[in-house]
This record gives sequence, C-alpha cells and structure tokens, in this order.
Amino acid sequence: MAANMYRVGDCVYFETSSTSPYQIRRIEELNKTASGNVEAKVMCFYRRRDLPNPLIQLADKHQLAQSEDSPVAMKLKKICLKTPIGEEQAAQAVLDPALVAMEEESTELPGTDGLAPKQRHQAKHRELFLSRHVETLPATHIRGKCTVTLLNETESLLSYLNKDDAFFYCLVFDPSQKTLLADKGEIRVGSRYQTEVTNLLKEGEEEPRNSEDLETLVWTPEHGLTDRQIDQFLVVSRSVGTFARALDCSSSVKQPSLHMSAAAASRDITLFHAMDTLHKSGYSIEAALSSLVPASGPVLCRDEMEEWSASEANLFEEALDKYGKDFADIRQDFLPWKTLKNLVEYYYMWKTTDRYVQQKRVKAVEAESKLKQVYIPNYNKPNPALLASGAGCAGGKAAVLNGGTNATNGTPAPLPHLCASCQVTNSNQWYAWGPQHLQYRLCGSCWQYWKKYGGLKTAGVFGESEAEAVKGARDGDETALSASHRPHRCTVLNCAKEFKLRAHLARHVATAHGAGEGARPVMKTRAAFYLRASPFTRLARRLARALRRPRHYARNPFAPINLHQVKHDCTLAMAGAGAGAGAAGAGSAGAARARGPVGAVAARLAAAHGSAAPRAQDWLALTPRDRMPAPHHVAFPKPPKAPDGSLMYERVASRAEIEARRNEPAPAPPLKRRAYDDFNGLDSAGAGAGAGREAGAPPPAKRPNKHPAPMQRPSREQYAAMCARAQATGQPLPAHVFTHVNGKPTNLTGRGGRRHVISWMDAPDDLYFRATDIAKAGRRTLSSGELRRGARAPWRPMRGAGGAAGGAAGGALPAAAGKAAAGAPPLQLVILD
Amino acid sequence: MAMQPHSKKRVCYYYDSDIGNYYYGQGHPMKPHRIRMTHNLLLNYGLYRKMEIYRPHKATADEMTKFHSDDYIRFLRSIRPDNMTEYNKQMQRFNVGEDCPVFDGLYEFCQLSAGGSVAAAVKLNKQASEICINWGGGLHHAKKSEASGFCYVNDIVLGILELLKYHQRVLYIDIDVHHGDGVEEAFYTTDRVMTVSFHKYGEYFPGTGDLRDIGAGKGKYYAVNIPLRDGMDDESYESIFVPIISKVMETFQPSAVVLQCGADSLTGDRLGCFNLTVRGHGRCVELVKRFGLPFLLVGGGGYTIRNVSRCWTYETSVALGVEIANELPYNDYFEYFGPDFKLHISPSNMSNQNTPEYLEKIKNRLFENLRMLPHAPGVQVQAIPEDAVNDESEDEDKIDKDERLPQSEKDKRITGEGELSDSEDEGEGARRDNRSYRAPQRKRPRLDKDLAQHKDDANSEDTKDDVKSVSNMEEPKKDVPPNA
Ligand SMILES: [Zn+2]
Ligand SMILES: [Zn+2]
Ligand SMILES: [Zn+2]
Repeated sequence: MAANMYRVGDCVYFETSSTSPYQIRRIEELNKTASGNVEAKVMCFYRRRDLPNPLIQLADKHQLAQSEDSPVAMKLKKICLKTPIGEEQAAQAVLDPALVAMEEESTELPGTDGLAPKQRHQAKHRELFLSRHVETLPATHIRGKCTVTLLNETESLLSYLNKDDAFFYCLVFDPSQKTLLADKGEIRVGSRYQTEVTNLLKEGEEEPRNSEDLETLVWTPEHGLTDRQIDQFLVVSRSVGTFARALDCSSSVKQPSLHMSAAAASRDITLFHAMDTLHKSGYSIEAALSSLVPASGPVLCRDEMEEWSASEANLFEEALDKYGKDFADIRQDFLPWKTLKNLVEYYYMWKTTDRYVQQKRVKAVEAESKLKQVYIPNYNKPNPALLASGAGCAGGKAAVLNGGTNATNGTPAPLPHLCASCQVTNSNQWYAWGPQHLQYRLCGSCWQYWKKYGGLKTAGVFGESEAEAVKGARDGDETALSASHRPHRCTVLNCAKEFKLRAHLARHVATAHGAGEGARPVMKTRAAFYLRASPFTRLARRLARALRRPRHYARNPFAPINLHQVKHDCTLAMAGAGAGAGAAGAGSAGAARARGPVGAVAARLAAAHGSAAPRAQDWLALTPRDRMPAPHHVAFPKPPKAPDGSLMYERVASRAEIEARRNEPAPAPPLKRRAYDDFNGLDSAGAGAGAGREAGAPPPAKRPNKHPAPMQRPSREQYAAMCARAQATGQPLPAHVFTHVNGKPTNLTGRGGRRHVISWMDAPDDLYFRATDIAKAGRRTLSSGELRRGARAPWRPMRGAGGAAGGAAGGALPAAAGKAAAGAPPLQLVILD
Repeated sequence: MAMQPHSKKRVCYYYDSDIGNYYYGQGHPMKPHRIRMTHNLLLNYGLYRKMEIYRPHKATADEMTKFHSDDYIRFLRSIRPDNMTEYNKQMQRFNVGEDCPVFDGLYEFCQLSAGGSVAAAVKLNKQASEICINWGGGLHHAKKSEASGFCYVNDIVLGILELLKYHQRVLYIDIDVHHGDGVEEAFYTTDRVMTVSFHKYGEYFPGTGDLRDIGAGKGKYYAVNIPLRDGMDDESYESIFVPIISKVMETFQPSAVVLQCGADSLTGDRLGCFNLTVRGHGRCVELVKRFGLPFLLVGGGGYTIRNVSRCWTYETSVALGVEIANELPYNDYFEYFGPDFKLHISPSNMSNQNTPEYLEKIKNRLFENLRMLPHAPGVQVQAIPEDAVNDESEDEDKIDKDERLPQSEKDKRITGEGELSDSEDEGEGARRDNRSYRAPQRKRPRLDKDLAQHKDDANSEDTKDDVKSVSNMEEPKKDVPPNA
C-alpha cells in the first residue's frame, strides 16, 4: 500500500517507452486534470547514457578530483577545493606530469578501487545527473520508487550496488547548455567575509555597556507572588475588562452580550497588560489592582480584532480579495487610516475567525487539483518486448520464432535462448532487446536490470556498444551531439549509412532498422532490397550448427535466427584456428565497414596516391535512374505528384499494423485497403488464389501456416518493422509476413556486395504468396534443378508445369528469396548459393 | 518529560511586542508573526511568569558593524520600499530584493533581532543568567556584506562576538534544516569559535555545508558540517547529534554555547524536508542544556508557523525545566493549531534516506577531523620567556586578515596545521579546566568562582601572543593528517 503511494518529493521510475530504460524523475507536483487524470510535474535525472560523451569524461575528471582514495585527488582536492586559490592551483597541479600520469590511470568513479570490474561497470549505472529540467508526465506511467541521493565521499559505491533502486548523483546537468556543474556552494575566505574576532577582555576591563541600555525588564520570576495569586490577578483584570466594555458605548454596540464582552476581555492583550501592571507595581497585587482602576475608569485593552469596526472588517476582506496580502496597497487604497502594523496584526487575528475558515474551505476546494500523493497500482501488463515462450503459451500466442515453434509443425526442439547479458539459457521470461535485427534476448532479471539501471549487468560480452547503438538510433539528438561536425551516421551495426540531415537519419533508422519507437509511426515502407552473402556469412553458414537446417529456414524465412547462437557456434568452431577466429571476430564486430560508395572510395584512394582529384570512373558510378533500361511494362505507375513534388500514395497499412492497431485500445483511423495484386499466376491457380484472397480476416495465430492470409509482401525493412510492431504489441508474428522478392528485376540494382535499399517510393507493391496444398503438390512435381532455377530467377515464368504447379513453384521461390530478406546482418543467411 | 530539579535554570527571554507585525511581503514564507504566536503560547502556558522577560534594545549601527561592513549597514538603514528604485545597484550588491525583500521596518526588525541576541550575550557574560532565549534571532544566513536566505543582519555572529569577550572558546550549534553558512563563514578562520551545523545537504539552499568544509587557516577543523538527507527522524537525529556534540564538547571544550533552533527541520515544514517532531527537535535543546554551559538559544528558520510556535514553546519549557501539557492552552491564535490543538506533532510517513550506515560513516569522518584538534587536557601551562616571541606568528596574524594568503603562507597551513594551531588555546589549558565543559552532567562552578576566573582569563589574554604552544607541539603531532 505505502509502496504504491507516491508523494510529492518521491523519486520514481517513469516508463515512457516500453523498450528503453525507465526514466528517473522526482515528483515536484501532482495535479489532477479536468479529465480526472493525474499529471506529475517532475524534475529530471539523467543517466550517464543520456549524456554526451565529452561531459561524461568531464564528470569522471570531477569525480577523480573529489575522490579521497587516490593520491592525485588528495592533492587536487587540497588545493582546489579547500583553499582560496582554487583554480590556479588546480591548473598547476594538472600540469604536473606525475599528476597527469596518475590522472590518466584512473578515469573511474571514486571508491571503485575495491570493486571488481563488474561492480565497477554496474556502479556507472547508478550514477545520475541532477538537472533543473522539469516536465509533465502522466502519473500512470510511474513504475516504482527509487532513491537518489547526493553521493557522500564517505560512502562506498558498493552500498548503492547492494541496494535495489538506489542511485546517487554528484553533478548537475544542464540539458540545454550541455554543461555539468558541481552543486556546491562555497565558503569564502578573506577579510571581506570573516569577522574580526573580538579579543577576550583584559584584566580590569569591563563591559562598557549597562544592561539597562540593552534591555528593559518587563517581568521577573523573582517575586513574592504564588502562581495562584497571579492567576487570581489575571481573573480580576479580565473582570475589570468586561466591566469596562459594559461601560464603553462603542463596545456594547459590538458586543451585545455579556458573554462576548467577557470573551473580548479574555484576549491575550488584557493578560499581557495585567502582567505588565503587576511588574510595574512591584508585584504588589494591591498596587496593581489600583492601577487597573485609575481615576479615569477601568482599564480597557483592545487589540486590533476588537478595535476594528464591522465595516472596516468588510473593507479589509474585500481588499484582501482584490489585492491579496499586499498590505501596503490595501492600506493605501482601502484603509488609509490604519497603520501597516494594524493591518498585519489584524490579518493574523482575522485568520482565526470563521469568515477566514470559510474562505479557506473555498480555497481548499480550488486547490483540490493539487494532490499531495497519488496511489498508482502495480503495473502488471507484460512489456511488449516480452517474448512469448514456446509451447507454454501456444494458445494463440505461439510465436513463430525458431526458438519457439510448437511441435505441431514438426520442427525440432526449440533452440535455447542465450541471455545477451548474463549468458544464462534458462529464464521464465525472455525479452527482445537491442536493435531488432540483432535479435538479442535478455533474461527476466537482466531485463529488469536494463529497465531500471539502463545497462547490462556485464560489460563487454556483447558489449554495451549495441546498447549504445540502440540509444543512438533512438535518439538522433544524441548522435548529433557526439558527431555534430560529421555527417549523421547510422549507428546500427553494419549499416553506418551517412546522412546530411538528422531527420534523414531518423527516417532511415525508422524505416531500415525498425527502431522508430512508438512515438514515430513506422512508415509503410516498400523498399525492395537485394542481399548478397558475404564470405563471412557463408563461412558462418557452414560453421554454425544452428543454421544447418537451410531448408527449414528457406521455408520459414520469417523465422528469426538466433544470432547469439550463431556467433557462439562460430566462435567455438573457429577456436584454435587463428585466422578463423579473426574472421569470426570481424564478423561479430560487423563485417561491413562503411566506406561510402565505391566511387568515393576510388576517389579517396586516388587522392591518397597523389593523383589530383581524379574523376570517378564512369564504370564505378551507378547508372542514373533515368538511364536505366526501362521495363517493357510498368506494372506500378507512379502516383500523381502533390504540389510540393512529393508523390501521393495511398497509405496502405501492413498486416502487422492492422493487427497492432486491433490490439491498441485507441481506435485506429479507418484503413483503406487496396486490392492486392496477384503474381505468379495465382489467379489462374484457382484454389490457391481463392485461399489467398481472404484479406480481411485475421489469421488465427495458432496454426498460421495452414491459414489463408492476405496477399502482402513486406519488404525486409518492413518485415523488421512488423516484427518490432508485433513484439511491441506482444503479438506473435503473423505467419503471412514473409518476404517475397519476385518484384521487378529492374529495381534490384545493387551489385557491390552491399545491401542496396531502394527508396520505398520506388519499390513495388507488397506481395504475399502462401503455398496452398495444391501449390505444394505442384511444387513436388518440379525437379530440384527447376526449383533452384526458379528460386534464382523468381520473375521468370515456370516452364513445363501446369497452373497449379506454376503456382507451387512460385510459392517455393518467394520463400527462398524471402529468406534472403529475413536473414539480417551482421551474419546474413541466404539460402541461395 | 521530567527534568531533574537541578536542571532548573535562570532563564532570560527576549521579546519585543512589535516583532510579529513585521511583514516580509505577500507570499513570503518568513513570518515574524510566529514569534508572537510563541510568545502568546508561553503566556498562556504559564511559562512567561517563570522567566525574566526582557524587551531588547534596538541594536545600533555601531553594534552591527562589529561584524557587518559599514556600507552594508548604511544601506540597510536607508533602504525603504518607497525609495528602493534609487538603490538598484546596491540592492544587487547586497543581495537584497528577492529572497530578502525590502519591507516596511526592515531595519527596525534587524535591530530588534540583533538587539535581542547581543543583549542576551551580554547577559550571559555578566553571568546574570544561565540560559538566554531570543526567538527573534537566529538569522544564520546573513553574511558580512550580504543578505541571504531571509536574513539581513546576523544576530548570531554579533552575539558570539559579544560572548568572545569573556569566553575563550564558543561553540555554535545549528539544527536548522539549512546550513548555517553565515555563521560558519564569519568564523571560518578562527579557532575560537567552532561551528557545528546539522543540515540537509545536496541540491538545497544555501549549497554549502559539505562534510569536507572544515574551516581554513587557524580555523581548520573548527567548522563541523553534518550533511544529511531527506527524512531525518527523531531517532536518526539523536543518533548523530549526541555523539557529535559529545565529542565536540570533549575536544573543543567551549565555555559557552549558542544553539540555533531553526524549526524548519520539523516534519511538514513548508520549506524543510526533515521529519523531526517537536520532541525530537527539543531533545537537542535538552542535550545541550545538560552540558551546563552558558547557553544562548536563538530561533531561525521555520515556515509552518503553527509548528514553529509549538516547537519554540516546548523548547522554552525544556530550557526552564518545566513540564507542560500536550493540550494547548487557549490563546489569541488557538484556531491555528486545529484540528487537534495539541502541542506535539506526529512524524509523517516519509522515508528516511539517512541510513544508519550513512550516519555512521559521517560520524566517523567527523570524529577523525575532531581528532585533529589540539588536545587540551593534560597540557601544562608553560611560561614562555619574552624573547621567545616568534615574529612569524605575528606576521601570520596580519596576513590572515588579507583576503587571500600568499602561496607560501598557505603551504604552511596545509602542511603543518598542528604547528600553526592557535597559541592561546594551549597556553591556558589549566584555566580552561575550571571554566569549560569537561564531562556531561557536571555542574557549573559557582558564580563567584567563575567571576574570579574571569580575571585569570584576562590575564592570560594579555600574554597570548607570547604563549607559544611549545608544550603542545609533541602531542598533536601524531594526529597530523597523513596528507600534510
Ligand atoms: Zn541475463
Ligand atoms: Zn542504418
Ligand atoms: Zn532554515
């Protein structure tokens, strides 16, 4: 209960994206919106991974200077933090070569000396950077509490590692200025700041001042009176006050009853006066009594509360309403005959009245939108990155993944998962992590760790570089920060495409890597692509046990391949063989280095060799599109152009999108579905076509292969996007999502061993072919030679076989070709040998 | 809470009936009215009649410039809401305007606050009282030439300066939730005043008060900072307060104590973030009182005014050694204390971020620092011949007044703090034994004896420059920090 009660001031996890780590925020305000939702005004803490690199280095340096343990820090600290000549000294100290050397030794956090490398790695996940940045988030996105404390030098980082949800900070990050500051004030030293300390008085020297000059005694406990006598005198003075009010005309008007007069005479002012009287009378009750009733009549003490007339009080309330508590203005415009002190005294007394209480109640209702705490129940919905586990949840959720296909397909036992962080193979839950195409998995506990601490438990295994890649891909800003002067380069492994504008990169990342995140709608991409296997891929194909089922993969091109397994196998297989290991290393590090277009490379090489700016060889340049051989028949004419020159496409939602939307609570805009084009003579293939036409009906996921599905052929990129989408919605991959590259050969322009992605605008429409029983039967009539030929040239009509057989052959082909698409870098799996 | 009969003290209380009517401005959290609320509670609890009640004088500019710079006080005296525009530049320079607004009667307010603390200090000096209370004081952020954190004139520094006339060493303790930076800065380089501040540290006003801020020059190790985190509760507070203060008393051996009782460390404070109850806060007063030294209690922060007045009322009762009922007596502001109308308050369920381990580590580090203090007990007074006067030490004093030390001077400070420790200290170990705190529960010497002692103080003061700490050289050496 208390754990789910979130109060102002609490530090909490916020989930703003299902795949990225939680954000850490401190609740500054909780406000109820008109719609009844609770919004939290929060202050941002940043993780190390959120900071640009140079700042991280700066932070490490600062840490070092603060560290107690290292000798260099000791020296630095002594000079720069403790004494007046701070910066010059620090600068000098840094110039000292010994110090510099020492400094270079350690760029770790302080207090990490006693830590194992793994703990040192994890300690970095616990460091946050405070900021003054405030944002507003829906309170329902809160995912738990954490603590963020200013790191104290006496603490070891281990004390944070040993506690869940404990973070520390040392520095303040300004996200707009990109600066780090130490949140530390300074005690200044110098005669302008310190006082001159008085000396002890010398012998015979006396304090020159008399107490009488410094103070006036108004009461002393050294009197002969008992408590009882004092109390009695107080009662008497109140009685005199009541009587005085009875005699006073103005009072009797205000206080029609004796009761009220007595109450008025009991206010503190009367009591203070009584005490003063006693004191002045030398604590003689007799003398005091007589001074209470002088010749002029009984003493009447009235405070502001009583002094003010009803109309004045009304005036005051009106003024208060109008001016607030600006008493100077109130006095000037409403009650000029009162002094400011009158007003203040009255105000504080007025606050005890019913009228104020009423007003306060009204205000309380107004302030109701400001909450002090809010109850947020535990969030139990599964994270979209959660991978459905194999047979266990076959009921409609069985993912058609290699690791999780159910036995009904006759596929072999699922391959074990391998946690990308801790390498375990056993976990109740698995989560997809990292860029889609890398297909990393995290075990349940590592996933929790990732969400909370923004990193992997272990460094270096599959490296945080991937995580960084995800981060970069997700946030173009960050990439821009570290490489503002360079072109924007895609940080996804094996891609490294460069773009002039960050927006282009963002679009590329979204489309090509499917890492667009929910925030940016994944475009309907239609980029066709062609993949040529690299030698490493081929090598891996032969080495990796996991892949020794080429036919299976050819038939199931949508089945992701466990890349860890592949890497693992390759590494094992190549262990011992130095060259082989090197190759594997290169393979896992990303075989394709971004060298730019061949022409550019040639030009650079030539320049390096001294020839002056040689023109790129003609044969190296890609054929301009307008000089490309035109197809005989344009199957997909370009749509009309919009006034701005862009092509106006009808938006076509992919199957995955439709499914994803169906699973979203928010109503999706009505989708225009476009007639699916049939290829490969499926129309004439009767039964097959008939089956393929059931576009609208969602396929039950249970036995996807048997189910008719719409004709849709997602591209490789789109496939990736779909996978992301499907996983993001917790859905199994639709069975019909597989790729089919028998589009227009003219679009497959890539030649150089690189993946060549054609703009989605130029790509042909999506096509999907599902082999029906008839098609399969027809396929069987083909010789293996024919099948292979068909696979290599999917656009070529099949000879010899009948309509059904033709359809069947076509069915086999896209599957094979699609395999090329589904296999993803860095180790491409292409069955076309 | 039953107090021992011997804990009955002569208590002087300073209050001006005008103080509650100074008004910082609309929306400003500082409300002098809380002092009046306290006063009315004291009257109706019957505590008023048990104390000497004084109306303080208005401190003069002369008195204030004992610490503050002349131009700053001149500025405070001249600035008014109606002539503010003429002082734009100075307002900036003296940091008056936002947190520290110009309000009607600003200077008078400062005069009353400072007048109370100075008069109280004089009272203690004259041994006319054992405990003095000035809830209108405690404005611990004010700097020499700068207003800060709702404070303009630092009545505490003025009070301590007054105490220093009769007391070789004065201890200042600050339990406001904010760091007592003004007082710490004022005495940062002297070893005659030790400032000990317990405060929230980290992303919090005023930003100073790091554990590593320990004083400079002669004052090194004489500033003690206890950086705390959100949610300090009574138990944690006592667990750090008791050992630190005991250790400070033992090593520093002050002969007078000033306690700043800022009530913004109470639970539910508008600006605070601790979770202390009135009882836990008052416990600090009780603990300090037990040391039996001349004791000046001042106010400070506190922005949930009903709790501030509860707290200071209770602490007055603690000072008096009188038990008071939890039921609040009726008074002019009774309605403020609803809905329960009780004296004591309950802590909130906020989490305490100060783990026992954290507090333990802080404590140990501070103990290490306190061990660096020259150890007084057992040191013999040793007459030093006239010709042994060290020129260097005189230079030292002069240089110290400069804003920045030349590098050569500073190196010495860094490397050999032990050698440079203030000479007066060591020269009067014997005398101190009579006057300063030695062990808890020890009663103060009788007044007449103390008076005689003053003469001694004055005597040794005469020769303080001559008394080089020869005898002391060996002892603290082994405590010299390894980095020196
Ligand atoms: Zn794991
Ligand atoms: Zn890319
Ligand atoms: Zn404060």
